[in-house]
Amino acid sequence: MDMSMTENATAGSRSNAPATAATTEAPRIAISGLDFYYGTNKALKSVSVEFPDRKVTGMIGPSGCGKSTLLRVLNRMYDLYPGQRAEGKVMMDGDNIIDPGMDLNVLRSRVGMVFQKPTPFPMSIYDNIAFGVKLHERLSKAQMNERVEWSLTRAALWPEVKDRLSASAAGLSGGQQQRLCIARTIATRPEVILLDEPTSALDPISTLRVEELIDELKRDFTIVIVTHNMQQAARCADQVAFFYLGELVEVAPAAQMFTAPKQKRTQEYITGRFG
Amino acid sequence: MADLQPEHIVRSYAQELAALRDRMTQMGGLVEAQVAAAAAAVVQQDSDAATRAVEQDPAVDALEREVEGQVIRMLALRQPMAQDLRQIVASLKITAGLERIGDYAANVAKRSIVLAQFSLPFSLSGIAHMLRLVQENLKLVVDAIGENDVEKATQVWRSDQAVDDIYNAIFRELVTYMMEDPRNITPCTHLLFIAKNLERIGDHATNIAETVYYAVTGDSLPEARPKGDSSAYAVVRARG
Repeated sequence: MDMSMTENATAGSRSNAPATAATTEAPRIAISGLDFYYGTNKALKSVSVEFPDRKVTGMIGPSGCGKSTLLRVLNRMYDLYPGQRAEGKVMMDGDNIIDPGMDLNVLRSRVGMVFQKPTPFPMSIYDNIAFGVKLHERLSKAQMNERVEWSLTRAALWPEVKDRLSASAAGLSGGQQQRLCIARTIATRPEVILLDEPTSALDPISTLRVEELIDELKRDFTIVIVTHNMQQAARCADQVAFFYLGELVEVAPAAQMFTAPKQKRTQEYITGRFG
Repeated sequence: MADLQPEHIVRSYAQELAALRDRMTQMGGLVEAQVAAAAAAVVQQDSDAATRAVEQDPAVDALEREVEGQVIRMLALRQPMAQDLRQIVASLKITAGLERIGDYAANVAKRSIVLAQFSLPFSLSGIAHMLRLVQENLKLVVDAIGENDVEKATQVWRSDQAVDDIYNAIFRELVTYMMEDPRNITPCTHLLFIAKNLERIGDHATNIAETVYYAVTGDSLPEARPKGDSSAYAVVRARG
């Protein structure tokens, strides 16, 4: 990567940075008394937790504990399915996200999501990034080029793909595809990025690249990551929340969570002594 | 407080943790025996016991190295968390402390051999008392290691004060003997070092107790512990 690109990217990141308040104390999202139902099945029970601004929150817990459900609440993905509903407060900038009046297109441009398996669109690398941006913004060709380069640079993928932007995204490796998905997510300049087990399908080196990327991205974005890999939560997260059977058992700074958790259930889960 | 955790899902991990604890209690037992032999060497002028105390040192050192290897292996292969992590790291510190205690015991035993060549015009009751206290604390802390017993650890942590108090009394007593008769200087100097070594053993037992407390609870004992070694500031003036 040459200097001009680095500068360009840095400048871009500054001007494009989401207009978040300078205070780091205020939570970006504050959840209180959240219940979630899949039909009659209650999957989240009165969950209250805050996601601090520009920090990484890791969510851990056994399968079916509700952590992915919570992630799906944060961008109202559950709205796509009948019979699923949420009750309570999920406050972001004074709005309750789960309020029926919430504009979902706006919400989803503010809260981006990356999934377990890389899901590139069957189009060129360039168009994978540009596609989402076009839905929200009207940019000139030059502006769009800049945005694509900025996104790919922030996602640490630019040097690897800059010479083949028109090639199909399907030709990228799994790790590259996942970083492309992250680039696609940040291209619309969201405030919050949700990552649902983003590295579970990646090899260890690609995993480390994504983790390094998360570390880099938290300067501008609030990140919520669901992971089954405890070491990954320990490496990436500033605070960690442990869920069990739809309840939030414990939330604590990562260092405390993995050296001296307060709750017995947390201790048993993270040391591998569960039930 | 007993260790009431459910079993590990991975049985070999639980076995490794148990083996680690076994090594530590084994080492604790050896060091206890070393201190007991050193005590017999000083109080009963038992030179065989002195030799035993010195000769046990390599076995203690070997156990320490074994634990160290096991800890590094477990950190690399198991990526321990929470209490397991604390226990594994604590075992490094505990065995280092036990090894130091063993060294001090050997040093006490060596000095007892020199001491036996003198006929002492005063009783060793002070040193004997200190030896008993130190041995009690050591036994208690080794039990605390083996049983993850926070109460025993706290008890050791509190009772180091008594060891420090008696050390100060012995210090003054020995200085007085030296002033009374210069021929006492050589044996009293050895006794001073013996007392100092015993005081250090007490300190290491306290450190180990603190480590056990942290490993089990995740919390630290308060910064300020009952402390009483004031001999560093003691001045004894000749009467006259």
